[in-house]
Amino acid sequence: MSTPAIEISDLWFAYEGSRVLEGVNLTLAAGEFLAVLGPNGGGKSTLLKLLLGLVSPGGGSIRVLGCEPGTCGGRIGYLPQFTQVSAHFPITVLDAVILGLIQPGLASLGGFLGRAERRRQREVALHSLDRVGLADRAQGRLSDLSGGQRQRVFIARAIVSGPELLLLDEPTASVDGRSRQELMTLLSRLNQEMTIVMVSHDMSTVDGCVTSIACVNRGLHHHADSHMTPDIFAQATGVDLRAGCPVELFAHGTVPHRVVLDHDDPNCCGGKHAHGATASATDSITDAKPQTGSQGGQE
Amino acid sequence: MLEALSYEFFRNALWAGLLASVICGIIGSLVVVNRVVFLAGGVAHASYGGVGLAFYMGWPVLPVTAGFSTLAALIMAWVTLGSRERADTVIGVLWAAGMALGIILLDLTPGYNSDLMSYLFGSILAVPVEDLWLMAGLATVVLALVLLFSRGLLAMSFDADFARSRGVPVRFLHFLLMGMTALCVVMVIRVVGLILVLALLTIPPFIAERRSRSLAGMMLLSGLLSAVFCVVGLWLSYSLDLTSGATIIAVACVGFGLSLCLPSAKREASAGGAA
Repeated sequence: MSTPAIEISDLWFAYEGSRVLEGVNLTLAAGEFLAVLGPNGGGKSTLLKLLLGLVSPGGGSIRVLGCEPGTCGGRIGYLPQFTQVSAHFPITVLDAVILGLIQPGLASLGGFLGRAERRRQREVALHSLDRVGLADRAQGRLSDLSGGQRQRVFIARAIVSGPELLLLDEPTASVDGRSRQELMTLLSRLNQEMTIVMVSHDMSTVDGCVTSIACVNRGLHHHADSHMTPDIFAQATGVDLRAGCPVELFAHGTVPHRVVLDHDDPNCCGGKHAHGATASATDSITDAKPQTGSQGGQE
Repeated sequence: MLEALSYEFFRNALWAGLLASVICGIIGSLVVVNRVVFLAGGVAHASYGGVGLAFYMGWPVLPVTAGFSTLAALIMAWVTLGSRERADTVIGVLWAAGMALGIILLDLTPGYNSDLMSYLFGSILAVPVEDLWLMAGLATVVLALVLLFSRGLLAMSFDADFARSRGVPVRFLHFLLMGMTALCVVMVIRVVGLILVLALLTIPPFIAERRSRSLAGMMLLSGLLSAVFCVVGLWLSYSLDLTSGATIIAVACVGFGLSLCLPSAKREASAGGAA
């Protein structure tokens, strides 16, 4: 647990001339479950791609598990966005999971693996499927599964290599409510073994298992505890609470409000969203004096 | 059909159709699952520039066209790698530019080329034996490449982002796929012509995709379907005296329509096997 899972300093990234991310600093300790929130186009997915080494930063430095992005191979598990994979692709569930064992580089791309290696890969993949509760569907076609089941297969593929860090891009998008709950339960179990970073545009996915929240909207602010504050809400949704209370976002679940007291970090919301100005938003918010973010929340 | 087999040109035509089917089954499947059908169309049409160039310079047609369309394919692969934003427009431009170049070069070529139409609509009944050997050679090269990189191609086709995150050289595989598509197109031009090549590349894989349990199975099934379309099409064109390339495509289109009517046969035990 000595090396942080993620270390980012002074990172920026520009797409076609305009800066998508700027001045990003983040140190994430191993074992955390970080939820990355932010409005669409705020740079959440870009941040994930930078961590994976799929795109290169304009400047600044990133270390993931102590190495350069893109050189960690199977030490990082990745769940791409749901829409990435064609719904009709002819592949069995087991073969899809086995693809998570592919090694980097040209040499390993050949189709000829030894019998022993093939059997080992099947066993590892089956074990991984078992962990997501889909071992009995191993021989079925992936396209015959429901959306939630397919997400679990992709999680099985992400963890098949025994990663130390799991990067998830909107894992609960386009799955129904019950599957979402099952997924979050699964993720919180996995979190006992590995660090998880989960990008989400959906505020309702910030469940109890999340240990910290990062708001990404060009800049990044890391909230070391997972309690929902008005400014996290404002940064994450782009909704200014002063304009009114978007109650529907909080209407579901057993813990409808997660609120902490204000803190005095001036960078938190770029001065745009005034702290403590949200008393009208929900009646459970305490309009408190500046405090540190680690203050316990009121639920 | 049997009497037709006594003619050498007809036997050659059958061989050409079968070779094209093998290649179309493999490359067509990769083209369809990688969603690069439009790119394949661009390569097919741009290859006409190669035909024009070969006639203008008086060089052998097949090798020149193969080189030209490989170049076009690699340019298109490069364009789609960078800014995906307007990649489709650029491919559209290359598509038209290749054809225009071909026609202009043919205009500048002295003498009337009756062979011109055969590259647009195919001339399977006039395939010489040398071309058969060239096709077989290209088929072997493509088959070997696909086998050599089968795991990487599968990983890229299934989920390119995930593959890249695992260090799979997706860029290289993308170029490889486009290069192989170009070679494939050149071979199939002989059979159905460059205008109709897209149908043979896409219809059999489309039918096979929902009925296979692996990419390898999909390749096998679409190769078989393609062979059936070619043989039936040839036979019909012989007995009804119709243009062979167009008849083959017509048969494939009927097959496409039938496949839509048939239940998608989820569990059909068709050519499984691990990829």
